[in-house]
Amino acid sequence: MFLEIFKFELKYRARRADTYIYFAILFLYSIIAVDVIYGDALGPLHRNAPLVIARTMGITSAFFMMIISMIMGVAALRDFDHRMDALMFVLPIKKRDYLFGRFLGSFVVLLLVFIGLPLGLILGNFMPWHEVGMTLNFNLWAYIQPFLSFVVPTLFFGGAIFFVSGALSRRLMVVYVQGVFFLMLYIIGLQLLQRSDMHIFASLLDPFTFQTIAVDTRYWSVEERNSLLIGLEGVLLYNRLIWMGIGAIVLWIGYVRFSFKTKRIKTLKKFVRSNAIGVIERVPLPSSVTTYTTLPILWKHTWFYFKSILKEAPYWAIVGCAMAILLISSINLDTAFGVDSYPTTYIILGELIENTILFFVLIIVFYSGELVWKERDTKLANIYDTLPISDLVRLTSKLAAVILSFTVLIVGMILAGVLFQTINGYYTYELDVYFSGFFLEIYPFLLLFTALCFFFQVLLNHKFLAHLVVLIFTGFATIGLQVLGYDHGLYVLGGMNMGTYSDMNGYGHFLTPFLWFKTYWMAIASLIFLFAILLSVRGTDARFIQRWKESRRRLTKPLLRFGIGAIAIWLLSGSYIFYNTNVLNDYTLSETDELYQADYEKTLKAFEYMPQPKIVAVHMKVDLFPSELRYTATGRYILTNPHDSPIADMHIQKLPSANVTLDYVDFTGNFKVDSTYANLGHVIYTLDKPLQPGDSLKMEFKQRYTTTGFTEGPETHMAYNGTFFDNFHFPSLGYFEDIELAVHETRVKYGLGPKVRRPKIDDQIALKEGKSAGDGEEVDFEMVLSTEADQMAIAPGNLEKDWMENDRHYFQYKMNTPMSNFYSIVSARYESVKEQWISPSEPDSTPVSLEIYYHKGHEYNLDRMMLGMRRSLDYYSTQFSPYPYNNMRIMEVPSYKKRAQAFPNTIPFSESIGFIMDIDDKDDVDMVYYITAHETAHQWWGHQINPAHVQGMGMISESLAQYSAIMALEQQYSKEASASALKLHLERYLSGRSQETVQEMPLSLVESGQQYIHYGKGLVNLYAFKDYVSEDSLNIALKRFITDWNSFTGVKKLQTDAYPTTRNLLRYFKEVTPDSLQYVIPDLFESITFHESSMIAVSYEQLDSNKYQVYLEFEVAKTKLDSLGKEHPSAINDWIDVGIYGQDPNQPIYLKKHRITNEQNGLKLIVNETPTAAGIDPLHLLIDRDGKNNVLPVQKKE
Amino acid sequence: MNSLIISNVSKTYPNGVQALNDVSLTISKGMFGLLGPNGAGKSTLMRTIATLQDVDTGSIHFGKIDVLKEKDTVRKLLGYLPQEFGVYPKTSAEMLLHHFAVLKGIQNRIERKEIVEALLQKTNLYEHRSKKLGTYSGGMKQRFGIAQALLANPKLIIVDEPTAGLDPAERNRFYNLLSELGEEAIVILSTHIVDDVKELCTDMAIINQGQVLLKGNPVKAIEGLEGNIYRKAIDKSEIRAHKQAYTVIAERFLLGSPIIHILSKNNPGNGFEAIPTALEDVYFSHIFGGISTISKR
Repeated sequence: MFLEIFKFELKYRARRADTYIYFAILFLYSIIAVDVIYGDALGPLHRNAPLVIARTMGITSAFFMMIISMIMGVAALRDFDHRMDALMFVLPIKKRDYLFGRFLGSFVVLLLVFIGLPLGLILGNFMPWHEVGMTLNFNLWAYIQPFLSFVVPTLFFGGAIFFVSGALSRRLMVVYVQGVFFLMLYIIGLQLLQRSDMHIFASLLDPFTFQTIAVDTRYWSVEERNSLLIGLEGVLLYNRLIWMGIGAIVLWIGYVRFSFKTKRIKTLKKFVRSNAIGVIERVPLPSSVTTYTTLPILWKHTWFYFKSILKEAPYWAIVGCAMAILLISSINLDTAFGVDSYPTTYIILGELIENTILFFVLIIVFYSGELVWKERDTKLANIYDTLPISDLVRLTSKLAAVILSFTVLIVGMILAGVLFQTINGYYTYELDVYFSGFFLEIYPFLLLFTALCFFFQVLLNHKFLAHLVVLIFTGFATIGLQVLGYDHGLYVLGGMNMGTYSDMNGYGHFLTPFLWFKTYWMAIASLIFLFAILLSVRGTDARFIQRWKESRRRLTKPLLRFGIGAIAIWLLSGSYIFYNTNVLNDYTLSETDELYQADYEKTLKAFEYMPQPKIVAVHMKVDLFPSELRYTATGRYILTNPHDSPIADMHIQKLPSANVTLDYVDFTGNFKVDSTYANLGHVIYTLDKPLQPGDSLKMEFKQRYTTTGFTEGPETHMAYNGTFFDNFHFPSLGYFEDIELAVHETRVKYGLGPKVRRPKIDDQIALKEGKSAGDGEEVDFEMVLSTEADQMAIAPGNLEKDWMENDRHYFQYKMNTPMSNFYSIVSARYESVKEQWISPSEPDSTPVSLEIYYHKGHEYNLDRMMLGMRRSLDYYSTQFSPYPYNNMRIMEVPSYKKRAQAFPNTIPFSESIGFIMDIDDKDDVDMVYYITAHETAHQWWGHQINPAHVQGMGMISESLAQYSAIMALEQQYSKEASASALKLHLERYLSGRSQETVQEMPLSLVESGQQYIHYGKGLVNLYAFKDYVSEDSLNIALKRFITDWNSFTGVKKLQTDAYPTTRNLLRYFKEVTPDSLQYVIPDLFESITFHESSMIAVSYEQLDSNKYQVYLEFEVAKTKLDSLGKEHPSAINDWIDVGIYGQDPNQPIYLKKHRITNEQNGLKLIVNETPTAAGIDPLHLLIDRDGKNNVLPVQKKE
Repeated sequence: MNSLIISNVSKTYPNGVQALNDVSLTISKGMFGLLGPNGAGKSTLMRTIATLQDVDTGSIHFGKIDVLKEKDTVRKLLGYLPQEFGVYPKTSAEMLLHHFAVLKGIQNRIERKEIVEALLQKTNLYEHRSKKLGTYSGGMKQRFGIAQALLANPKLIIVDEPTAGLDPAERNRFYNLLSELGEEAIVILSTHIVDDVKELCTDMAIINQGQVLLKGNPVKAIEGLEGNIYRKAIDKSEIRAHKQAYTVIAERFLLGSPIIHILSKNNPGNGFEAIPTALEDVYFSHIFGGISTISKR
């Protein structure tokens, strides 16, 4: 009997078109799945690397959970839906045979359908659009293995759960809602992953394993990622076992609970006793007046449908899930630095939307389907279709009901947000921000999406197919197009996003274009919906051709007028947008930009090292007009020829931006203009009288930045409140390396060789360039800024004068001493605080003015910033060298850039990182203090020491700033604070290196784009170095380095035109390192070294009342990476910490470096407190990929 | 009062079934019975009049209204009880009736309440008005169906096989209700039960395989066949022979042995006895006796 049911199921499915449609969808999607999921993010990974295949399978099987539910959910359900239950359940079959026959039959079909996934992926590899070299040799097992180990278990538990929920609930919606739970688990998992201590739990939780795989392989090198299969072991194995177990349990529950009863038991109970029609009296029916005004009927009808959605348990399940997500995962205020932000409304809003947007999508997809089919599903359609209501009212009321149903969710979320803020003691609710965030930013898209759902429901006239198609279509028309490089809001579904909200600038100049784009898309939504109305099924003939014919008759005058209106708005707004983005402004496809970049490099690279004069003085007048998003700059550079030969050709490079116009460039004396490369923004001015070595001349220019109309993807340099740009805006000399294409694959596409990420450390020409890459490194600086009357404009230097003129605010800045050729221009409506600092080492010196310019309302962390500046100035000026400027400013800038940046004596600081961090002194590292200290440190490392533009540059500017900052942190806070900062940075290094796209370099040879090395590893290794040689010794080395190599006064620097490199730096390090420890310098800085230290066993015995003997057994392995990225074992002869802890887990009772020469080690140590734990390298000073096994609790010896 | 004029309507379904074949009928105020076996095309015709379906050729007019084109106008005058329909199981009869009343254009709240109550009374559902429709029995649901069809003074009432599934008592009462309506409007009743038509209708048509076989007053139809129907009790073994020899229009069993009715202009003798013509005989003689088809050909 079982066999017959099983076979019938297979035959039944084999005859159904659905089965083949699902297969086709999976297969076709899988062909492009890797491109869709990874896009340009593959980096050095091959598109058929085992890891890529496995994750793509995980993600795709999650995405197509819907297919699982459609195949498995209906397996038992369809008997009820087709009213076959009465026939079926009286047959002499066993429940077991029926259930498992159906289950297995459907499951086999499900497996066959999902074979489309690996097949599609395989075929995808051979698609002609892939560049040569992007794929590895074909390996069939790399597809079969992940399919069997990851996808099949997903299908099993998913199938079991959907099957059982369908069989028990007998409602398809309930089946769907199961899917929502999976989604919820997935989102929770994602949230948990942001906390490093929850990785394991999150890995077990992820039903689809693609996060699990990511966690499992997070420290894998590129080499490993490209070659190793993801083994089904460890966490992955447990994850799969857990989920298969859940599937089995659910099946068993289903088996126990299922019974052969027809109908829904619930309603059976309550049948009313039928009464007869009774005595027929001639009750005259009152005659009624009928009116058919649209609006009241529409409203009543909408309300009816809306109430019917509100009565649906699945609706509340989805709403409940959305709320539960907010509750469970809480709202993540975590910044990149492990510290929470204040729950400002906009952050809350972003979190609310991000966590719940999928639930909105679900509600819209499901309930548009349910409502379109409502009458037909209940067989009421043949009455309903004859009612005298217009087609417009019929469909519009359903649309409106769906819109109302998700509006309820929005209101709920606003309440949740306000509640969250209240609980967190934040009472500035900003309901207007909530309102605009939901109803302005995302509502239009939701409306468009709703209209699309209705359109596809009507067009395809197949509920489930329409669900799928609308999701795929929307995915393609939004993300898909962008991945392919087509990103204009005129055709990317829904148009542009609003752009980042900033407390300082609000929606700023994003608002106008946003509204235009949304008008355009709302007109399209109206048209789509009009089509849906015209093609909607009414009556018994649902054939498309029939509806198409009928639609002409249905196009009544009002609908026609509406349609014409929508078309007019669509065309007008579209034209206006096009006029703005493509006529007034240049819109370029990313491909066009790439073409320009490639062309630039190919044409002009020859000029890269052509001798050019250097800027030695900058005098500029910049008039800012923030409300018009424009500025005018007139400037004068003094150029000097530092070379041995005369220079005639001046290569002047304009910023490659359509907003920038260079009105004129003028030089002392006569010159000719060569505009051959003007299309690349590169003009050559040939002086009649070449500039002799050592001579100077004046270069004058006028530049305008203008904004006309609006662009697709607006610029953020000029803002109504919060303008921020730097000297890269202004004309530069020679070849501009920053324009070069950076992504390797893109370079290959344009026939370019590998990008030189930094010249070699011994490149004699590059050594003579510093941060400014040849434009001139040290300059005299003077700038007059003017801005609108209520704003302040700030540049580096001392504020010599400020005045009002013609209702504009003028500021004159002049730097007291030569400075780096690196300056920012900032303008906003600021509040300010000022304090004075006097150098502790030079009590008689002029006080330095410490100033913070901030946005009103962002006062939270001013004290911390002030303290950060003060403490770090104290430390750096005593340890390294004096602070050279008369003041130090922090200026808040909008959140468009999420970082702080150090210019001479000025630090623009993004509002999103420091100003709204909510630091809990008990648990958090004071990141505001730390970032301030880091940026302050750049006044030494960067602005006093200017590293040569070669490999290792990042170590001098960033790693030293990191080291300085952590030392400044320890001035104010405990060692625990620095320990957690170190932990964060070790993680940054380890996870960063797995994303490396070219080659990992040793710290002292770090190249550009290797932040994980110079920020992450740099901090960890310099801190370890400090631990080896002592703080004093390291600081002495740094002091000597700065004395010798200061750009302006350095003893050695004045004798050479080369800038310092890490080779110079390491010489000072070696000087202060005892012979026995010299080996750490190559280990920490000149090579890539890993230690794997682990405790094997540890026990103690009490010798005396306060004497304890501790026996330690541990292993240490040391490996080094060669230049090909291969890891080799390395001999151990290292001094490593051994620590023993007593009652205080943070304060070791014993901590000493021991010389370790073997892999296996045993130690006997005596302490005088009861030991609780002991470890090898317990402070994690060495780079160790598994730090968890470094410490073990101590057992008492028996 | 306008009449409904159906002219030369034909409809073939995509699967090749010709549901209506050149159907022409004129239907005036009163009860009109549409009689025919299952699959005769009755429902197709009803649905077409009820704006749910289009035809291939032909026209239907209700007074000046072109039923096939001005659907919205027709719907304002229409009351329709389909052969098969569902309801929202979780909604009460009163609520759904109110909803339909709104959709039928009864905007005034008080008026709506009056008419809904009156209809619930009339269909004797008042007692159960707030119960969920999902708990109703078949008969009650059918009554609910008629209640909704009567909303907003329909001028054209179409009831498609309304008595299917009703017990005899319920059926009678149901017809009383319907006949009351025939005084005010055109009521088209489709059925395959001859008695329904006999009891209720002043006018009727018999259709089979999409064609109208007979139209007219039931009494006149009976009169037309008066004296042409004969009856005989036979043995089971004789059935085949009799079928070949005579135009057998009906066979049934009485106390275990077959009785046949035949159509014959003259007394066939051979044990047949003449009987008074019943409407049933008219029906069967058109369906099986081939009267009209023969005469047409």
